[in-house]
Amino acid sequence: MTRFLLARLGTALATMAVLSAALFLATDALPGDAAGAAAGADATAEERAELRERLGLDRPVVERYLAWLGASLTGDLGRSAAAGRPVGEMLASRFGSSVLLVATAVVCIAVAATMLGMPAGLRSGRPVDRLVSSGTVTLLALPEFLLATVLLAVFAHGAGLLPAVSLIPLGDSPWQHPQALVLPVASLFLAGVGIATRLLRAAVATAAESPAVEQARLSGERGLRLAWSYVLPAAAAPAVQGLAVTTAGLLGGSLVVETLFDYPGVGSELARAVAYRDTAVVQGFGLALAGTALLVLLLGDLVSGLLDVRSRSAAVTGGRGERRLR
Amino acid sequence: MSELSRRGFLGIGAVAAVGLSGLLAACSAKPDAPAGSSAATTLRAAFAGGGSAETLNYFVGPTALDFVRARLVHAPLGAIDPAQPDGVSLGALESIEVDDDLTSYTLRLRDDISFSDGSPVTSDDLLYSLRAPDALQGLPFTRLVGRGFDLAAAETTDARTLRLPTVTPIADGRLLLCQSMLVIKDGTTEFTPATPSCGPYLIEGFEPGRQTVLRRNPDWFGEENGPDEIHLLSVNDAEARVNALRSDGADFVSGVSPYSAQLLAEENGFTVSAGEAPYLSNLRFEMNLEHEPFRDERVRRAFRLAVDRQAIVDTVYFGRAAIGNDVPAIGFPSYDSSLEQRSHDPDEARRLLRAAGHDGMSVELTAGPELPGMVETATLVVENLREIGVRATLVELPAGQLYADYEAYQQLPFAAGYNPPAPFEANHTPGALPEVDTLVATARSAPDAAQRTDASHRAQRLLWEQGNQIIPVFVPTVDAHTDRLSGVRHLQFPDLSAARLASA
Repeated sequence: MTRFLLARLGTALATMAVLSAALFLATDALPGDAAGAAAGADATAEERAELRERLGLDRPVVERYLAWLGASLTGDLGRSAAAGRPVGEMLASRFGSSVLLVATAVVCIAVAATMLGMPAGLRSGRPVDRLVSSGTVTLLALPEFLLATVLLAVFAHGAGLLPAVSLIPLGDSPWQHPQALVLPVASLFLAGVGIATRLLRAAVATAAESPAVEQARLSGERGLRLAWSYVLPAAAAPAVQGLAVTTAGLLGGSLVVETLFDYPGVGSELARAVAYRDTAVVQGFGLALAGTALLVLLLGDLVSGLLDVRSRSAAVTGGRGERRLR
Repeated sequence: MSELSRRGFLGIGAVAAVGLSGLLAACSAKPDAPAGSSAATTLRAAFAGGGSAETLNYFVGPTALDFVRARLVHAPLGAIDPAQPDGVSLGALESIEVDDDLTSYTLRLRDDISFSDGSPVTSDDLLYSLRAPDALQGLPFTRLVGRGFDLAAAETTDARTLRLPTVTPIADGRLLLCQSMLVIKDGTTEFTPATPSCGPYLIEGFEPGRQTVLRRNPDWFGEENGPDEIHLLSVNDAEARVNALRSDGADFVSGVSPYSAQLLAEENGFTVSAGEAPYLSNLRFEMNLEHEPFRDERVRRAFRLAVDRQAIVDTVYFGRAAIGNDVPAIGFPSYDSSLEQRSHDPDEARRLLRAAGHDGMSVELTAGPELPGMVETATLVVENLREIGVRATLVELPAGQLYADYEAYQQLPFAAGYNPPAPFEANHTPGALPEVDTLVATARSAPDAAQRTDASHRAQRLLWEQGNQIIPVFVPTVDAHTDRLSGVRHLQFPDLSAARLASA
């Protein structure tokens, strides 16, 4: 297990290193730079050159990347090209809010996907499965933007039940104002519940046909006990992995929702930073998102390995349970 | 042993659904608006801001929010005001006098102005304020005064008076000084809520990209009696701002898209207001003279005649814009309103193109969403050009890209752009027509006012006849607010310092 963990962490770090270079080069390859974006149309050529020099943009890209990399290893993520605010501070003020948003949505998705995916998977091909499948396919086909707009129209503008924009009073966190979280969470929930349910349904359907479940059924196990004690444990490993993939997707996909509801998260910041060619901010926020996604996927693999019935039973009987984790 | 039936599962599902909706209901049970107090004297106003990169240093902040906040916190020297004889109304200054030879300006401060730390505002502070954009490495648009005045040679003559020599003789120095200059305390290098200031409001709290809480400055010298508190909300997306207004998260929102403005204007409870000249941005389409066909004056004229300006004002801006006449700075004192309004004449345009031998020419128009309606206007311009036989296509860039690569922008054969409201002469970019450049220099420096006006008008006529810009429309900043709000003044950006909010 330790070797597995070390190997995975090593891979994650290598991925982050490659990603940081790719992000830096990609932002640099975009037409224009932060000096051009900041100078506007009315600046003179001298003012543009001065700004470019001050932001260090006159230096070669590799030199700038290595300087950034060196500083970031000491914990200094650089400063925003927009107004010089430290990226670390910016990230600290936004990251928690995004995690709260996505984590709340994922918990709701996990509950709903279990409630919908279990009956569908157990009764594969039957009316309940067809109903759940067509519902989830419909949700999958709808873009987040549309889902969020419909929620806004119904619950904020129509019924007036919930705020349309996540305006959080000074000094407060979003969790202190749950009403501001409802619509953004609901939008992410609808965006993610389709795929998670389908993944869980597939896992349950496969598990339901496994010899272990078949044997339990032949031994007279039925109903909730069969589902809870035999099907769910067998389906849990792939289901957790599916949920981890959904979570990683939602992390990146929160951009639209955050922008639409003006939720103070990292997605909307990343979009602004790209438009402004704010390389240090793109690096900081992009890598934070990527790192979190890698961590979630790693956790997903770990938990699913621990939940895997076959590896667990093998471990119990003295077998090489870790094989499953490779 | 319980029987797992479809009903059983549906039952669990129903419990979960009830739980989830209960959670939703619990979350929505608090009807209070999250933006803060609903006291009658708290104004909540939403603007486009800079996200979590925002700072209180307005020299490096290019957004509407930066500008509005800075003018509420730091006293402006004055404001551009075409109704005044000098073209400006004064704020922190009592007077601006100009020497007869236009080489020196004398600025005198009011005697009743002090900073929030109790210290009086002196001419040293004024001098520091004028030098600060350069000293604190401000963005280029904050450094206009330094282009016209020799700030290094400026000197204080007493505690309230400053003598300011010009680089070359200029007559429009008052406009430069009052366009966006604010007063800060001598030696200020950092901007925090505690930094002494002398504007109508003081900063009570600030969270980048979220909110700034301002409280009325009890020692403000002005007569305005605005709200006790102003909460400036940083909301980047234009639709999110409108949603905030509709759901009572804000009382005032700035930068409303033309279409949303039209919808809001038809709803009860909201008022839509648009800036008026001179506070209009010019939306322009620049024909690059390096591009061969545009060197022919007839092609430039054909393109200008092809554009249906009224259709742009009506369909893109729903009437909330002013028709342009291919000359910048509408509404400023020297704007030549006697020039004949350019008509929409596709037949003449076709004839001119044929005569120039460019019938059926191809051209690519580049535009981006940098100003409300820019892409839509560019789309109409492309349609208009196709009507006169030009094979025109539109290249739409993502937000932020148009100016980000300025070198590439300058190479484009035909590109959209805009300039915020600013006087023509001081902001004229030389190079395209040398004769215009000479006239503009005279318009800025001739000792006699009539001579200056004459030179400016001649320059504008030349631009109208031969220039390489199509300025079909002048675009206001469009704001919307609840009907309970009044007293917002429309300058380049809205001034909230005299706003009044009636109780609900």
